[in-house]
Amino acid sequence: MAKRKRIVYTNRPWEATGICSGCKLCELYCSLHHNGAFNPRRARIRVVELGTGIDVPVTCQQCQDPACRAACRFEAIEFDDRLKIVVVNQDKCTGCQDCVGACPYGIITIDPISHKAIKCDLCGGAEPACVAICPSHVLAALDDAAAGEYNRRRFAALLAFDDEAERYRPGGEEPTFKKLEKRSS
Amino acid sequence: MAAPRNSYAGRMLRVDLTSGRISTEEFGSGYTDLFIGGRGVASKVLYDEVPPEVAPLDPGNRLILSPGALHGTGAPAASRTTVAARSPLTNMHGDGHAGATWGGELKRAGYDLLVIQGRAEKPVYLLIDDDRVELREAGRLWGLLTSKVHARLRQEAEDQDLCSVTIGPAGENMVRLAGVFHNGADKGTSARCGLGAVMGSKNLKAIATRGTRDVGVADPEALKAAYRDYLETIALDPYVPPATRYGTCRFMMHRVKFGIHGAENWRYGAYDWQGLDPEVFRSDYQIKAGACVACPVRCRRDYRVTSGPFAGTRAKLEWETIARSMTCGVKEADAVIAWSNLCNHLGLDIEGTGDTVAFAMECFERGILTEKDTDGLELRFGNVPAWLELTRRIALREGDLANVLAEGVKRAAAEIGQGSERFAIHVKGGEMTAGDPRGMPVRAVSYATSTRGGDHLRSNPYIEEIMTPEEALEWWGSEEAADIAHGLKGKGRMLKFSEDLVTIGDILGLCKFAFYRSATFPYLYRKGVHLATRLYNACSGRSLSEKDMLLAGERAWNVEKAYNTRCGATRADDVIPARFFEEPLLGGGPSGGAVVERDKFEKILDEYYQDRRFEPGTGLPTRAGLERLGLNDIAADLAGRERLGG
Repeated sequence: MAKRKRIVYTNRPWEATGICSGCKLCELYCSLHHNGAFNPRRARIRVVELGTGIDVPVTCQQCQDPACRAACRFEAIEFDDRLKIVVVNQDKCTGCQDCVGACPYGIITIDPISHKAIKCDLCGGAEPACVAICPSHVLAALDDAAAGEYNRRRFAALLAFDDEAERYRPGGEEPTFKKLEKRSS
Repeated sequence: MAAPRNSYAGRMLRVDLTSGRISTEEFGSGYTDLFIGGRGVASKVLYDEVPPEVAPLDPGNRLILSPGALHGTGAPAASRTTVAARSPLTNMHGDGHAGATWGGELKRAGYDLLVIQGRAEKPVYLLIDDDRVELREAGRLWGLLTSKVHARLRQEAEDQDLCSVTIGPAGENMVRLAGVFHNGADKGTSARCGLGAVMGSKNLKAIATRGTRDVGVADPEALKAAYRDYLETIALDPYVPPATRYGTCRFMMHRVKFGIHGAENWRYGAYDWQGLDPEVFRSDYQIKAGACVACPVRCRRDYRVTSGPFAGTRAKLEWETIARSMTCGVKEADAVIAWSNLCNHLGLDIEGTGDTVAFAMECFERGILTEKDTDGLELRFGNVPAWLELTRRIALREGDLANVLAEGVKRAAAEIGQGSERFAIHVKGGEMTAGDPRGMPVRAVSYATSTRGGDHLRSNPYIEEIMTPEEALEWWGSEEAADIAHGLKGKGRMLKFSEDLVTIGDILGLCKFAFYRSATFPYLYRKGVHLATRLYNACSGRSLSEKDMLLAGERAWNVEKAYNTRCGATRADDVIPARFFEEPLLGGGPSGGAVVERDKFEKILDEYYQDRRFEPGTGLPTRAGLERLGLNDIAADLAGRERLGG
C-alpha cells in the first residue's frame, strides 16, 4: 500500500541554485494541470515573497487530521483512500471559506473563478506538475521518512553556515545616506 | 467558465486622464496579425497616436504598456513587458522592457494592452481590478519611494498578489532619466528613454493591477514539447552555466577579454576591475540564483551587504549597473550595490544616470565645473560619497547643477557649454550603454542605428564573436563578417539580422539573456527563432513560420525607424559621439589605442541601409521597403510629410 506523500520544499541552502529562485513556474504549471490555462491565483502551490531575494514555496502539508476538514460544515473535505490525503469535493463545497481561515498554513484557498475551495491533490498520484517543472529541483513529493531525511540535511546546513541567519533576515532595503561620509574616498 | 482559447485576452484598455474616461476596445487581428504583441504593438500604437507635433511631456503623449505576447503563459522566460512613449530624452521613439509579473497580471485582468493619455489635474493612481477600473486620488503616495508605493498599494488592496507599475520621486520631478518600476524597487524596470518622466508629467503615480482570469494556451502539449526542447537546448549551450552561476555579472569577463570597459566616462578600455570580479559578487554578496517570472535560466541576482558602511543594503542589480559604476570610476562592489539600491528606490534609470554623473565628473576634473557649482561635492571619478549624493540630488532636482543634469547628458552639456559637449556620451540624446565600441566597428554602428538612442539590447552584433567563418559565409555572404576587428563585408547584413532577431524577443516578451545570447550561432537560432516561433504558435493557435517571425521583428523595427524619421531623424543622427572616432582608447589592454575608423563605420552603415532598404544617402525609409512589410499606411504618411526616401 502506497504511503501518504506531500510536496516538500527540499531546498539545498548550501547551493545558490538550491534555493527557490522565485520564478513561479510551479504556480503556472499547477494551474495549467488543474485548469488547462495559466493563472497563479488558481494554483495550489504559492511562492511567498518575504523581501528582496527571499521566496519560499508553500503548499498543503497533507495533515492526517486536518483543521480544514474539521472546520467544514458541509462535509466537503473528504479522505481519499488511494492518495491517503484529504481532497475537496467540488460538488459539496459552498465556498464559505471556513477552511481557509482554519488552515494553519493558509494554503487551502478559494478559486477566483469557481469560487470553491482548492488544495493540493498531488496531481492525482502522477508526478506533480510543480515537481516536474521546478528548474531548481527544490520540490519533491515525499513520504514521511524521506521528508525527515531532507529536513535533517537542511537543519545540518543551517548549523554549518552561520551566515544563514543574515541571509534570510528581512528588511534593511531602504537606501541609507547617513554612513556615506564616513567612507574614505 | 471555459478557459480562453488562446493566450490573447482579446481586449485593450484606454484611460484618458484629462477627462477621466475609461474605455475598452477590441484587441483583434488589426493588432495581432502584423504586430503580434509587446514592442510590435506598442511601436505601432505610438506611431498612430503620437504625431511629431506632440512633445514628450505634453498630455497628448501616450504611455503605452504592452505585455509581450507570451507573457502570462508558462513559456520559458516569457516575463517581459514593453512600456513605450515618445521619449523626453531623444524626442523620438522611446521604450523600455522589464521582466516582472505586472504584464501577466494585466492579461489576467483581461487586457492585452493599456494606453494612457492626457494629464490628471492632481496626482492619481489607476486601479485595475478585472473589470473594475478607476482613477483614485494619490496625494498620499506622492513623494514615496518605488518600494513604498508598491507596499502601500498591496496593503490598501489587502492583496499581497497585487502587481503595480510605479514611478519614484525622480519620475514625479520629471527627471528625464526616470524609469518606470514594476512591482516595487527590485523586480524589474522599464528604465530607458525617460519613461518615468512621461508618467510623472501625466500626474500618474502608479497603476495597481489585480487580475483573476485565466491566460489560455491553444495547444498545451505543443507548449510543453517546446518547453522541453528549450531545456534540452540550454542544457547543451555553454553560454548558460556561467549565467546561472554569476548572473549578468559574468559579462565582466567579456569586457576584460576585449579591454572595452569604457571606464571614467568612456575613456579607459582596460581598467582596475578586480574589485568588481563576478566571483566577488557571487561569493561575498549574492543571496541566491534568482529568476524573473517563468525563467529556468536564473541569472537574476539579488545582493546583500553584511558589513562596512553599506551593511544592511539589499538590492537587485544587473551587469549594466557595474558597467556604469566603472564609467564613474567606482571600483568597490558594496558601493555598486548601494548605488543600485539608491537608483531603484528613487526611480532612476541606472544607465542614463551613470553616464550623466560620469559626464559631470569629467567636467569637474577638467575644471569646467568647480566646487562652487557642485555645492561642495568633490566630483572626482571614484569618489563614492559624491557619486551617491549627486545621484540623490538628480532624482530630487536639488540644486542648480543637479537640476541641469536631470535633463540628461545631451541637454546638460548644451546648458553647461564650454566645450563639454565633447564629453557628453549619447546617441540621439539617449545615454550610451554596455561596452566601448572602439576596436569593434559593427558594435559602433549598432549603437548608432538603435531606434531608442545609445543602447546595447537593440541588437546582437556580438554574434560576430560566436560565428564561424563558414557560417558567416553562408549567412552574410562573406567570411569577413566573423572577423571582429578587421571584417567589413557582411557586417551590415549581420547587424540588420541581429536587430530583427532581438526584436522578436521584445514582441513575444522573451528575455534577451535567456533566448538571444548563446555560445554558438546554431543554438542562438534554435532558441531565438525556431523555439520562439513554436512557443508563440502553441500559445496563440496561429501557425507562423520562422520567416514570418523574423519579418515581424523587421516590421516593428521599421515602424520605429519611420517614427524617428517623422520626428526629423536622418542619417546624420545614426552616429556615435566624436570621442569614439577621435580619441584612442586609454589604459592599454587588448583594445588599447583603438578608435572607430570613420570610413569603416560608414561602409558598414551603407551596407546596413542597403539591406534595410533605406535610402543610402539620407537613411530615410523607402516606399518599397515599407510596403514589403505591409506598412503601406506608414509609407503614405511619410510621403505626405515628405519624409519618404527614394
